[in-house]
Amino acid sequence: MWSRPKITSPDGLDDLLTSGFINLRFYESEILQFNKNMKHTEEELVDIKKSISEMWSLVQSQFENSKNALLSTNTELAEVILSREKRVNAFELKIDSDCENYIALYSPVAIDLRLVLSILKINKTLERIGDFADAIARFVMEWSNENTEKELFDLLKIENMMGCVEKMLEITHNALTDENTTTAGIVFSTDRIIDARYNEALSLLAPYINEHPDKTLYCLYLTTVLRKIERAGDHCNNIMEEIVFYVDAKVLKHSPKD
Amino acid sequence: MFTSTSKKKSVQSIVFLLFRIMSYSVVAILFLIIGFIVMRGIGVISWDFLTKAPEDGMTKGGIFPAIVGTLYLVLGSMLVAFPIGVMSGIYITEYATNKQFVRVVRVMTNNLGGIPSIVFGLFGMSLFVHTLKFGDSLIAGSLTLGLLALPLIIRVTEEALKSIPDVYRHGSLALGATKLQTIIRVILPAAFPNIMTGLILSIGRVSGETAPILFTAAAYFLPHLPSSMFDQVMALPYHLYVIATSGTDLEATRPMAYGTALVLIVIVLVMNVLANLLRKRR
Amino acid sequence: MKINAKNVNFYYGDFHALKNISMDIEPNTVTAFIGPSGCGKSTFLRLFNRMNDLIDGIRLEGECLVGGQNIYDKSVSVDELRKAVGMVFQKPNPFPKSIFENVAYGLRVNGVKDKKIIAETVEKSLHQAALWDEVKDKLKKSAFELSGGQQQRLCIARALAISPSIILMDEPASALDPISTSKIEELIFELKKVYTVVIVTHNMQQAARVSDKTGFFMLGELIEFNDTKKIFLNPDVEQTQNYITGRFG
Repeated sequence: MWSRPKITSPDGLDDLLTSGFINLRFYESEILQFNKNMKHTEEELVDIKKSISEMWSLVQSQFENSKNALLSTNTELAEVILSREKRVNAFELKIDSDCENYIALYSPVAIDLRLVLSILKINKTLERIGDFADAIARFVMEWSNENTEKELFDLLKIENMMGCVEKMLEITHNALTDENTTTAGIVFSTDRIIDARYNEALSLLAPYINEHPDKTLYCLYLTTVLRKIERAGDHCNNIMEEIVFYVDAKVLKHSPKD
Repeated sequence: MFTSTSKKKSVQSIVFLLFRIMSYSVVAILFLIIGFIVMRGIGVISWDFLTKAPEDGMTKGGIFPAIVGTLYLVLGSMLVAFPIGVMSGIYITEYATNKQFVRVVRVMTNNLGGIPSIVFGLFGMSLFVHTLKFGDSLIAGSLTLGLLALPLIIRVTEEALKSIPDVYRHGSLALGATKLQTIIRVILPAAFPNIMTGLILSIGRVSGETAPILFTAAAYFLPHLPSSMFDQVMALPYHLYVIATSGTDLEATRPMAYGTALVLIVIVLVMNVLANLLRKRR
Repeated sequence: MKINAKNVNFYYGDFHALKNISMDIEPNTVTAFIGPSGCGKSTFLRLFNRMNDLIDGIRLEGECLVGGQNIYDKSVSVDELRKAVGMVFQKPNPFPKSIFENVAYGLRVNGVKDKKIIAETVEKSLHQAALWDEVKDKLKKSAFELSGGQQQRLCIARALAISPSIILMDEPASALDPISTSKIEELIFELKKVYTVVIVTHNMQQAARVSDKTGFFMLGELIEFNDTKKIFLNPDVEQTQNYITGRFG
């Protein structure tokens, strides 16, 4: 194999080629694209960002579906949510291990480190919101035989509250994609609106239970749904804080927001 | 604080003054010799002096045959010594694996370089002139001078090759080059300026030697140029010796002697300057 | 081309430098060797292009296979082997020649005479080494006019020019500044698309950044050979963990 190739033709190249001394692939192809703009470590980071973005879209659609399933008592849609919850969990595991590997292998610093850290936390938070959608879907399945009253949902402004959460998910998603935190104020104030709606809803629900004692159990379960919507708002709030930490390197946690 | 005692200071300044005087005096002596020769010899330097044969018992005419003879001898000796010297230098540094052998060769080379030149002359006479029957001739003189220059060329080649860092050798071998290709294509080109320096230094050395050619090549007087390798030749250093000591009219030839000395010095100096230039360019 | 070492023992005189090492290296991967100084990682690397042969008093036991063939077999020609297994050294070592001639050197010593082919190969190799744009206007200038990082990339281009299958790198970035190091690392990462790369490095982060598999050597032994992710996240052997976390002793 390593014997010297015999050179017989004038320039000797053909023999060198056939002897395998000069790789054909080297002459025939241009498969190597060396002058790239991005380092492979950056590409990995872009991939992680892409994953979290896909997970985000999935959670957004899960939450939207849970709203529709709840408002129209659509058990089929609820089933879809339950089956997709597994995908959310898979995303969480994948992004977690991607981030671990990224930190272990590439020792990121500065903005890269902030991005990885915030993605780790956002990842966990998104999974929780996914869990809420799953729980709401289970509620829909559980109480599908109950004669749900559209008026009660209207009274409690559930559609509005869930719409607010959807809006927050969308804004935060765009904020991370665009690395733009000017929308942070909207998210924080929307969270305050949801908190207010939640308190209102509880105070409206108490007299309703008094009037309809037979629906007490149903209403108690309904409060857990309300509670989950309110928590989802809080989580979106936290996500926004993480994005601000990543983009502006500011810590907003536990500080009054304006 | 921080001031040294005056005694310390004065001892130091005296010692350094001594060093300075010594080093200046070396330069001064050199300039003195050159100045002396130039002053005495410049008067006879002329076109005729450089291009005519000696006349009238060497009191008139020029030194042309001696200049040409010296050039022939230098050329001949380098043709002998340069290939042999460079090749053995390469062998010692690049190929020889037996360290004992290398050490022996190195010691021998140094000893060879330490032998007085008159001994080379005697040896050359017995080997080339008598045993090989070349007679007093250009070739016998060249061979003798070549032997004299050999140690210097071997040493310089060795040093030049050793100064080439191993990373070049490894780099070349790692590309699939053979050892010979490595030496010819990488090592020798890189060492070339230093080897040339050695060549020129040995030319300077050889051109000034009298003793080795005394019994092997030099003619007391030849009105014509040598026509073959087996002819005798005139040579500058020997010519100088002759006209300074055994001419027919020493007083009359004295200016010629200084002129010859000047030509010889100029040749040697030019060689040294060239060698230095080459070394610096590296 | 794949590389296999089977129960390799290696001695410098009486010194037992490599102790019973077995390793399989897959084609088109980057494999990094890490470990403290004198652990044998460079010695092991140099087995594969037989650069250890240049040292007196060495002895090898076991088998080193490149592409399935025992390279210490008597029928193997060392210079032919070295064409297939290129090497980049710790310190950039361009020849005292022009940039062009440095890259063309490997072709010339291997009997390629066609000027057009040489010129094309030189350009291609310089492209591959991500150096073309920086040197295309001064190919005739001395290689010593380049910066250290450029010189090292020139040495990589020089090695690529004879299209080896395997490239061995002995601490290729240890003498370079961070920017040049980063360029070399990026290059190594790209090279694995076509070549099998084996790299010795003192810099653990470098091993983590560029390699697929990592071998940890200590006192002539291969302590652990594993996926780089595994080594840096969850090594199997405690010694590896102590070394990469800096808790040595």
